[in-house]
Amino acid sequence: MAKYIFKFPDIGEGLEEGIILEWKVKKGQRIEAGDILVVMETDKVAAEIPSPKSGTITQLFGKEGDVIKVGEALVEIELEAGEETAPLEDPAKATKVEAVEEEGAGVVGTLEVATGAAVMRASDEGLEDKPQAQETKKRKVLATPVARAMAKDLGVDINQIKGTGPGGRVTKKDILQYVERQSKTSGQTLATQPAYGTQEPRVEVEQLSQIRKTIAHNMIRSKHNAAHMAVFDEVEISRLVEIRSRYKEIYAREGIKLTYLPFILKATALALKKHKALNAEMDLEGGKMIYKKYYNIGIAVDTPRGLIVPVIRDVDRLSIKQIAIEVQNITRKVEENKITLDDMRDGTFSITSYGSIGGKFAFPVINYPQVGILGIGRITEQPVVRDGQVVVGKVLPLSISADHRVVDGAEVSRFLNTIMSYLADPISLMME
Amino acid sequence: MGYCYKDKYDLPDIQIIDSPRNFDFFLWQPDRLYIVLGRSDKPDLAVNMAEAGRVNACIVKRPSGGHAVVLSPRTIVISAIMKGHGLNGRKVFDRINNIIINVLTDLGVKQVMQRGISDIAIGQKKILGSSIYRRRPGHYFYHAVLNHSEDIDLIDRLLLHPRREPDYRQGRRHKEFVTSLTREGYNLTISQIIWALGKRFGQAMQQ
Repeated sequence: MAKYIFKFPDIGEGLEEGIILEWKVKKGQRIEAGDILVVMETDKVAAEIPSPKSGTITQLFGKEGDVIKVGEALVEIELEAGEETAPLEDPAKATKVEAVEEEGAGVVGTLEVATGAAVMRASDEGLEDKPQAQETKKRKVLATPVARAMAKDLGVDINQIKGTGPGGRVTKKDILQYVERQSKTSGQTLATQPAYGTQEPRVEVEQLSQIRKTIAHNMIRSKHNAAHMAVFDEVEISRLVEIRSRYKEIYAREGIKLTYLPFILKATALALKKHKALNAEMDLEGGKMIYKKYYNIGIAVDTPRGLIVPVIRDVDRLSIKQIAIEVQNITRKVEENKITLDDMRDGTFSITSYGSIGGKFAFPVINYPQVGILGIGRITEQPVVRDGQVVVGKVLPLSISADHRVVDGAEVSRFLNTIMSYLADPISLMME
Repeated sequence: MGYCYKDKYDLPDIQIIDSPRNFDFFLWQPDRLYIVLGRSDKPDLAVNMAEAGRVNACIVKRPSGGHAVVLSPRTIVISAIMKGHGLNGRKVFDRINNIIINVLTDLGVKQVMQRGISDIAIGQKKILGSSIYRRRPGHYFYHAVLNHSEDIDLIDRLLLHPRREPDYRQGRRHKEFVTSLTREGYNLTISQIIWALGKRFGQAMQQ
């Protein structure tokens, strides 16, 4: 009989963990595919998790109240003969292991499934003590996707490693320990191999921070789901530079720092009101567009910990001065590391400003499920034609990425034109 | 006098859980004082039991997540079923809370917004709490309680501070964190709100 490890699936909430509220099965209990195994609680959602397989429960991982991360083992099921997913007639083929993405029995999300003989069998348990070399000739090991990626990065043969995870899976920890062990015994493991006679390691292995994981997850989600397109343009903002310069000092007396960002935020909010497709969200499954009638703009901020996007709410209703205060408050919270999740929620559009670092144009990644993101480049002095004369003007480069599923290029250009017209004539920002 | 306790949720809105429709809703004004526990709540850790006994509250455990709330004839319970492939809790919270926010905004309530995980607030104060029970993948039972005019001091006396709280609560006690439409100065009647909600939910059903 084969055994199957059912892991806590991503139930579509975008969360990384849940609490075991209530076990609905016991060890030794026979279950059918679709039977409820456990009730898990994520944020305010109590979700009944069905089994994707029929069989007998041989192990429950965790007790009620325990926190389980997505991807961690929940239950071990001894499968019935009919549930074994690969033919066993050809032992050579049956030893193949593959991690496939399977939507299991109505479970939203994916499961890593080991097929054929790779499913840990009751009779395999004693094999772990056999010599590793002999063992690896016969089969490949089970491993988490992260561990496989890490092994590949480090140039380590994962099949040489004995797994300590659920069902004998090789985990990240196993790989790190293996690398460390190898370096102590032979001094030739990749991660610590001396380079050209020096003692400097050739690679440095660092655990991903939570924020970096979140950024990675969000970026991939955006690139997978949105059809990115971009438009670039430049706007002459000499009048804005003049106004900002005049009010900068006046505001400074009140302790308010006036940058160009409040003007750009205001211009963007007013333009979003005129181009509703850019302030929207597509619900593809529901076949609907959701147009938002509030204008909460996120500002991408580069912090030592990684990129975060705090949100300024109802920007259309705020004056330039109020926006400047909001920007200042956000800046202070970022500096003091006091930004909360609440500060980053409910954005409807985003702005990323890289001009202070030096870029001119960019192709920013949309903060999905938003439809667009505006990139702000560095203001430069350039020759411009004004009243038939070539004069030195202040020019601001703008880049916009938008989701082509939602909005076409013409409308994105019109939207950018609207922003540019506000910035070219900043008085118009106060007139609406 | 004394409290009653029911481990099985049998309040009227549970009847829509077996609705054959992909979207269905149920609006009601409770007939008495209830304290409804979240699925993971333990009564003595979530409720001031002595006070619950004093006011003759009925304590019921609901199937959904989140923490304890107070239901009373001065509140409105809004429940809905949503079914569909690709749904998740976040989407269900967003869609239904958006309907409620639009209704309240149309009725003249200002600064209504979704805050925390799934609250609706007026400014920094909570006016509605909601939670979800995912019966099976793609099948969601949502319910929420909107505080029309319940006494915030009573809520403060009945409920203990929850184990987890949204960022915007910032450790505030119930009486500093929760508000009601009446307390915020809105003279809307319960039937007026239920009628407006029913109209908007009915439209959503047609879509």
